[in-house]
Amino acid sequence: MFSARALQLSQRRLSLPKKSLGRRFQSTAPEPPPAGGHLPSIATSSYLRATRDSALRSQDIRWLDGDNNGPPGSVIAGRETRKMNLYQAVRDAMAIALMKDDTAVVFGEDVAFGGVFRCTMGLAEEFGRERVFNTPLTEQGIAGFGIGIASMGHTAIAEIQFADYIFPAFDQIVNEAAKHRFRSGGQFGAGSLTIRCPTMSVGHGGLYHSQSPEGYFLGASGLKIVIPRSPVQAKGLLLGSIRDPNPVIFMEPKILYRSAVEQVPIDDYQLPIGKAEVLTKGNDLTLLTWGTPIYHCETALHMLASPPESLAPHVPPSLRSAKVELIDLRTILPWDVDTITESVRRTGRLVIVHEASMTGGVGGEIAAEVQKRCFLKLNAPVRRVTGWDTPVPMHYEKFYIPDALRILDAMVETLTY
Amino acid sequence: MLRVPRFPAAVRATLARRTYASTTVQLPDEAHGHLPTSQSPITSKLRFFNSVVEEGKQIPTYRVLDGAGRLLDGAEPPEMDEALARKMYENMARLPIIDNLLYNVQRQGKISFYMTAYGEEATLIGSAAALAPDDEVLGQYREMGVLLWRGFKLDEVMAQCFGSYEDTSSKGKQMPVHFGSRKYHFHPISSPLATQIPQAAGVGFALKRDPARRGKNCAVVYFGEGAASEGDFHAGMLLASTIPSPTLFIARNNGFAISTPSSEQFYGDGIASRGPGYGMHTIRVDGNDILAVLSAVREGRRLCLEEGRGVLIEAMSYRVGHHSTSDDSFAYRPRQEVEDRKRVDNPISRFRLFLESRGWWNAEEEESYKEKVRKEVMKAFKRGESMQRHEVKEMFNDVYVGEEPWTIREQRQELQALLKKYGHIWEPWRSELKKHKGEGKELIESDH
Repeated sequence: MFSARALQLSQRRLSLPKKSLGRRFQSTAPEPPPAGGHLPSIATSSYLRATRDSALRSQDIRWLDGDNNGPPGSVIAGRETRKMNLYQAVRDAMAIALMKDDTAVVFGEDVAFGGVFRCTMGLAEEFGRERVFNTPLTEQGIAGFGIGIASMGHTAIAEIQFADYIFPAFDQIVNEAAKHRFRSGGQFGAGSLTIRCPTMSVGHGGLYHSQSPEGYFLGASGLKIVIPRSPVQAKGLLLGSIRDPNPVIFMEPKILYRSAVEQVPIDDYQLPIGKAEVLTKGNDLTLLTWGTPIYHCETALHMLASPPESLAPHVPPSLRSAKVELIDLRTILPWDVDTITESVRRTGRLVIVHEASMTGGVGGEIAAEVQKRCFLKLNAPVRRVTGWDTPVPMHYEKFYIPDALRILDAMVETLTY
Repeated sequence: MLRVPRFPAAVRATLARRTYASTTVQLPDEAHGHLPTSQSPITSKLRFFNSVVEEGKQIPTYRVLDGAGRLLDGAEPPEMDEALARKMYENMARLPIIDNLLYNVQRQGKISFYMTAYGEEATLIGSAAALAPDDEVLGQYREMGVLLWRGFKLDEVMAQCFGSYEDTSSKGKQMPVHFGSRKYHFHPISSPLATQIPQAAGVGFALKRDPARRGKNCAVVYFGEGAASEGDFHAGMLLASTIPSPTLFIARNNGFAISTPSSEQFYGDGIASRGPGYGMHTIRVDGNDILAVLSAVREGRRLCLEEGRGVLIEAMSYRVGHHSTSDDSFAYRPRQEVEDRKRVDNPISRFRLFLESRGWWNAEEEESYKEKVRKEVMKAFKRGESMQRHEVKEMFNDVYVGEEPWTIREQRQELQALLKKYGHIWEPWRSELKKHKGEGKELIESDH
């Protein structure tokens, strides 16, 4: 259910003058947008853990205390958190990995000075240029190099500067990393390789700074793909990915690097790979997504419960009390079919949201599997709200990326099917 | 914390000079100084250059023995005792015997595919003999000779080619000649070309970071002159020279990439001309002269370990055989050309003549050794050809490590259900199941 805070927010919204409402939904900030992008609705998201207590109580958190001096593994009393945004959380995860694992190295283009998104700030100074270093400009080289390091049992944490540039490395990732163990009869493997890359739209990225390429890798069995929605998630999932004995592609929604801020536990902890998280429970419709669209979904849920005046005619009053179950998939491959199936069997309706184009996107894979398992329980066709089948167009982005309005519309249609 | 190795000041100075200084191209003296952050001397002469060595000349090819097995004037043979020489010769002579059998076995339909190494025996054995047994080798596909040098058994060769349950290289999952062995430090072969090259730079880097192996082992990567056209070649050379990492690059320039002769593969002076482009120590060697290969690879390895940086060796030879059993090379080259090369420049007979001149080999030994090998190979073949494959269930293993994803589990269960339903009544499946250990019973008679 919605938190008290969320109800507070939605009530506040209705009493605001029209001018502010405009500002809420159409950003008219006077200063130029920062290069990393800025999503207004995130700052007020109820899914971000703004307090120490809520952060420490994140679902399925597993503490990895190496020594006997620290608090015991299952206890949260005495643990500290620190305010971090997503890039700081990513950096924190890598620092812990470098600290605890002598074989770990971090490499990629421009990582030594701190990275173009600051994810590696200070790591070269702290751990030395032999462990945190720049590579020449070659994604196929970065991926191949990482596979070589991993095949020797060392931990390789590679960075691809933008997910849009992962394609030169596609052969190394799909033909080599994913298949290394299978083809060698289990003797070798690239399991200790993790490839990180910034993904998804940023507001002004155009074709080549906005892509969500997770769908291309679905056929590369042997790989795992993980996409976090927030700083607490990013740190735990990244540590989980680094330590997972399979090669993992970790895609970080770049627009969230600065705008998602939470209290993040400073200890070493992991979140489970392969497990989705239910953010809001409900019985009327399952809303499934990952990464940035989580926040658009949150806004859409508020709009469904109490639509703004302009949209009220399009949201039947009977639907405004609908309880929607919002799920963050988190791991895209292998995806948590049990959680999704259990949910859809209850709700009978599924809406999947992703920024990647419709055709060939992950939504199609999930929809096929869900219809197979929940065929007789479905009350409406599985609905996908996605980017269009065009490259991401620079000045049309607001009509391209699925926003709260499109998600709201899809929910209404699915609920009234 | 790991110690960061520091090179002596003299070596560092040499390296710095090496990076920026030109080679033997004569340019006007440095009356005009240099660019701000470079050692490149300013010149007022407008002049293009197009050679790594003296203008108009090609990179020379290092050779020690002539075609008749005699030492060239001024050549220094590598340090080698009779035992090593014999071991090298025996390994060279053995290769074509194995190749002959497995090639014919493919022609008879008993294995699906094979690749011979005819004509390249000196490159393979000479280089293998120069390496430490635990140097990490990443091959392309024609380097079984290196694996055999290290002790890989004929039974294991047969197992991989037949995909039998003794196949440790790939558990029946790969085409023939796709070997891999942790024990012999031979990384798993993959069909995509050149992918192993940047991986080797990473392997070398891991060796450098391992205090137990730094300075003792290097990564060694083999590839053909065709594969060297791939972007991965450039990436690997760049990384090994720049990061840097101790990686020895051995280019087998055998003149062909399937049907494409080297004249259609590159325009520059072979692969060796690219080495200095990356600031790498480079040599071109007569790949059919096993002693030259041995010397060059020993020295290349030494430089590689001393400087912790990539080194390039281009071994020139000739691919006497077809590209593979899927190729008939007489479709694109005259038979006479191949026969001539076999006669005129035969790596095995060249070394044999050298050995015989030293009294280290003779005709009787040749006969008896070859007979012995033929028997061994035939024995291993007969033993391997009738062996069953791994259990059918094995097909779903080793995709992921750790908790098995539902996709793998459910799909195996789906096949299991199909086998239970049709396994004993559908003829193609019935006879196919018999080829597998357990005949599918591990799935058919199980509940999960």
